[in-house]
Amino acid sequence: MSSDAAAAPIDHHFDPTTTTGIPNKKVLMWAFLASDCMFFGCLISTHLIYRLHPPPGTLPAKQVFSIELTSFSTFILLMSSLMMALAVNAIQKGNLKSMRWSLLTTIFFGCIFLGCQVYEFRNFVFEKHLTITNSILGSTFFTLTGTHGLHVLVGVIWLSGMLLYSFTGRLTERQAIDVESMGLYWHFVDIVWIVIFTAVYLLEYI
Amino acid sequence: MSAPASAPAAPSHGHELEQSKFWIYVQIAMLLAVITGLELVTVYLPFVRWLLFSVLAVLSTVKFMFVIFYFMHLRWDRVFCTILFFIGLVLAAATMWALLKIFGADASKPLPMTMLFPPALVLRIA
Repeated sequence: MSSDAAAAPIDHHFDPTTTTGIPNKKVLMWAFLASDCMFFGCLISTHLIYRLHPPPGTLPAKQVFSIELTSFSTFILLMSSLMMALAVNAIQKGNLKSMRWSLLTTIFFGCIFLGCQVYEFRNFVFEKHLTITNSILGSTFFTLTGTHGLHVLVGVIWLSGMLLYSFTGRLTERQAIDVESMGLYWHFVDIVWIVIFTAVYLLEYI
Repeated sequence: MSAPASAPAAPSHGHELEQSKFWIYVQIAMLLAVITGLELVTVYLPFVRWLLFSVLAVLSTVKFMFVIFYFMHLRWDRVFCTILFFIGLVLAAATMWALLKIFGADASKPLPMTMLFPPALVLRIA
């Protein structure tokens, strides 16, 4: 009987020990992401509200933004989301090596995204003279995208920690829920950027 | 007695599902990249603003849904997870809609400076 239990495949979508049947870590992460939705909703709303009636003399956003760079960073973040999904898929099959490579690629793409953000912010501040304090556009834009960037940074640090942890021998298929929870956070960061890309950048060009 | 007989079938089914998930993820990622390209092209099209806005909203929503239902596994998880996330999402969207309605109304338009500081008042103060 114990050998049957040990050989039985792990159902990563069902936990019989909880009342909901869902692993508690997953429920916790979904609850956190729901709250983070409201947090970003407020920041995006604030930006859009102040874009409805910009004060006279406001720098046109089209002259400031570089849609090519932003499109590239959006693509990079989407690909990082793919690699994260593949990492979760790998650990759920017990394939630690594949998970490590996928995690490493996710971290790499995440760092590229952060690099693009840093370059963009420096360009806005030093070339276009748009800062967080000298205009409403700057305040709302840098608060929103800066908060998102911080979320990405936290995600990159978390991913790096998980990658290092995978080398201790304590990360197996049974702990796939930890990688999956982290994956949920990373995908959330991606979907927030999908909304920001459209609402903050693309809408300025129509 | 029947449980051990059914147990060997589960791993192969699970394995096939995991293999198909790999290709689902890759295909969805390619689709998301294509949609992003379409969004980029859309903003340069010479159509009316409301149409472009609607197209962008639809494309973004499609991307959003693909990521949450496939990459975030909502499609294969219990519906409770979907409900939990959508509570926050609906609250956020409703708040955003309400704020945009309030601040988009005519009464919310900022007053021009000449109304706040009429020339006669300025002359009197001077």
